[in-house]
Amino acid sequence: MKRILGIGLLVLAVAAGGWWLFLRDDPEGVAAKLAEAEAAVPLTDYPERVYWGDTHLHTSISFDAYGFGNRLGAEDALRFAMGEEVTSTTGIKAKLARPLDFLVISDHSDGMGALQRLAEAPRLLLSDPTMQKWHDMLNESPQQSLRATSEIIAAAAAGTLPDQMLNSDSDGPTRDLWTEHLAIIDRYDRPGTFTALAGFEYSLLPEGNNLHRVVMFRDGYDRTTQVLPFPSLETKVEDLWAYMEGYEKKTGGQVLAMPHNSNVSNGLMFETTMSDGSPMTAEYARRRARHEPVVEATQIKGDSEAHPFLSPNDEFAGFGKSGWSIGNLDASHPATDAMQGGNYIREALKRGLSLEQQLGVNPYAFGLIGSTDSHTSLATGDEDNFFGKHTGNEPSAKDRANAPQNLGTRQGRFGWNYLAGGYAAAWARGNTRAEIFDAFKRREVYATTGPRMVVRVFGGFGFTPDMFEGDWVKAGYSRGVPMGGNLADEGKAPSFLISALKDPDGAHLDRVQVVKGWVNPDGTTGEKVYDVVWSDMDKRAMAGGKVPLVGDTVDRAKATYTNTIGAPELRSVWTDPDYRAGQSAFYYVRVLEIPTPRWTLFDAVRFGIKLSADALADGVAQERAYTSPIWLGPAKAPKPATQG
Amino acid sequence: MTLPGWTKEPLVHFLAAGGLLFALFAWIGEPVDPASRSIVVGKEEQARIALQWELTNGRPPTDAELAAQIDRFVRDEVLYREALRMGLDRDDAVVRQRMASKMDYLAASAAETAKPDDSVLQDWLERHPTRFTDDARFGFEQLYFAERGTAEAALAAGGQIRGEAISLPVEERNAPRSEVSARFGEEFVAALDRLEPGPKWQGPVQSGFGWHLVRLTEKRAGEVPPLAEVRQQVENDWRSATAEARREEGYRILRDGYDVQIEK
Repeated sequence: MKRILGIGLLVLAVAAGGWWLFLRDDPEGVAAKLAEAEAAVPLTDYPERVYWGDTHLHTSISFDAYGFGNRLGAEDALRFAMGEEVTSTTGIKAKLARPLDFLVISDHSDGMGALQRLAEAPRLLLSDPTMQKWHDMLNESPQQSLRATSEIIAAAAAGTLPDQMLNSDSDGPTRDLWTEHLAIIDRYDRPGTFTALAGFEYSLLPEGNNLHRVVMFRDGYDRTTQVLPFPSLETKVEDLWAYMEGYEKKTGGQVLAMPHNSNVSNGLMFETTMSDGSPMTAEYARRRARHEPVVEATQIKGDSEAHPFLSPNDEFAGFGKSGWSIGNLDASHPATDAMQGGNYIREALKRGLSLEQQLGVNPYAFGLIGSTDSHTSLATGDEDNFFGKHTGNEPSAKDRANAPQNLGTRQGRFGWNYLAGGYAAAWARGNTRAEIFDAFKRREVYATTGPRMVVRVFGGFGFTPDMFEGDWVKAGYSRGVPMGGNLADEGKAPSFLISALKDPDGAHLDRVQVVKGWVNPDGTTGEKVYDVVWSDMDKRAMAGGKVPLVGDTVDRAKATYTNTIGAPELRSVWTDPDYRAGQSAFYYVRVLEIPTPRWTLFDAVRFGIKLSADALADGVAQERAYTSPIWLGPAKAPKPATQG
Repeated sequence: MTLPGWTKEPLVHFLAAGGLLFALFAWIGEPVDPASRSIVVGKEEQARIALQWELTNGRPPTDAELAAQIDRFVRDEVLYREALRMGLDRDDAVVRQRMASKMDYLAASAAETAKPDDSVLQDWLERHPTRFTDDARFGFEQLYFAERGTAEAALAAGGQIRGEAISLPVEERNAPRSEVSARFGEEFVAALDRLEPGPKWQGPVQSGFGWHLVRLTEKRAGEVPPLAEVRQQVENDWRSATAEARREEGYRILRDGYDVQIEK
């Protein structure tokens, strides 16, 4: 009897083991091979070239992307970013003219895969009438599916999601999805050629105020499968940091978070207090700086660098504000002037200096990147290839520029308010997970609104223009600090070695500016934008402290421009003329292209639609790059958030 | 062949069958006895609950948090057992659908994780060589001029030619086409495609920046690498191109084990 039972159990054990072997992927094998391949990638002594990527892309497992109709998963997203042709959800063949070097897929942790489950669930399973309604809408038509998704976002923002949705048995399915997702990412990571990084989006949204973060891992399957994506519902951002600390402690890996769309946070993203309204503590500031070394400054849902209300002397601060600056993410609450300070990055960098004066730690010492936040699985960032914010406004929706585009159900925003999206540029010694991640960690990264201009900046003392005659990059690294770095005040004005090279396949450059922010002894702050070098300087003499506009070659009717104005490269050594000893300051570089057609003009020409007067008036823009700042400070400058 | 007498005892058969069922249920995670009204949340189960919580939150639960999770587990378990006692699992479209989708998922992931052997991949590589061909490679020196006329004049003057200042590499060696394109633009690399290598300065060729005199020292067409070097890429490509067919195959294997009759 015992023996029979024993044999029975043995048979079962063997069968179970066989089944397990049959089912499991071979991720450890892939992980070992990846580690070997990564170690074999030759690294340069210092970053010699810039790598282009998108750190913010949604695929069909994001509940809203699915609801908007997206049916392309991680595999299609990766293949597209690497330059292969894929067929979009709406049936359009799509291929990037210029592949990306790296990609972070960042699907929402909240309800990962949930809408797919809701749509595919047997209707009987859904006891909640609202969920039954959504289930029906998801299956009815693309329009209704989109509407259901909007309602779900609005309900999440208002905190009125049905209990069944919150408590649904999702741990198991999420784990399956996540594990499978991570295995795919490892399969597509090609050290030296293309870097695929794991991540997710933590979409904290109190009352519709956007406090979203993209979370990005440095590690592969062996470590990332030890956690699940952290959901935002009923949490505060400190809980996310605790999750990140837990991950690093448990796995020995590394992870960072990047806030985005501060422009629709109604003042909450860069508060001078903690999230509960109490005064900020040094500990809070330290944790924030450590976990959030980079902020996404520009993307499809508008630009968060600066706002005309905060920077009335900056005539270029209005870029990407139309529609977005009226309120929070779902436009459920209007934005007041008093909120704008917490919404924009330049102000946050200034607040950081002021807080550092009080606390000894700068919570807002962050670098800048751009990305797409595309929900189509397609990381398109250019004006002539805009694939839409989501599947509901892919190019097949020909009138998308004029159509109202409301994430929530409130009115107020239109298709033309969307930007084509941005990209992240990383100065790294090679194209591997470790090198790209570490570039983010030390903030040697910059943002563009899509064009791939190559921007260098080094800060130091005693830089001279003749450095450009020799190997100035090497000299920049040995005698100064690159973007993202800290300069210790030496009692004399800092100088900056700056070069901006146009996108090789894009528009000429108008000008290079340095944006300086500083803190006064009484804690108040100031800012100034300096025109440092511009095209045709002999003909465009500065008048009244301003450089005349570069001109405009855009043919509105044909969506074309010519490089007959502007310059292919602008470079200069600039020394701060307003330096004050002992004053903490930051300096970042903004590069402007000459005016070019926006995606809306391309749409009008391609699809023969007539743009609304507002859309047409906004049909031309000066695309741009923002570098991470260099900080100047006394003995204890804000340090890049490093491990430990 | 004679078997010992005890093997013929019906009671032994019954116990053996019960033992197998016990093991089977233990293995597939069903409760040992749905009718039992005793729920023991053992240390192992508690550890599993704590671990699940930790996976999401990145830290172990506090005692209070764990207690709340255990309460939830017990609540679900009580309701689940009562539901089984009432036979709610039978003839329930929801449960049936849920079980079916679980199995579908298992079958699909079996197909998804099936390892193609080398001959399949070698065949795939040979049928789609252009997808895996290496980048062409170039070696060159270049001198930059903003205007075409200046470049032509410099070339005609001969001797030691000096270009104008720009932050582009003056020399590239063994550089993949994609990298040349990323740095110099598509127009420039397309021009390189048309030039033949030689010791002389050629051009000027145009780029997005202006004009370049080029000394092309090396030009190598891309080759199809051996499978070992591109195995993962070939496998990715094969997977994504054949995914649907393999999912269907997963179902077919199960389906083949059934005799299905649909009465007219």
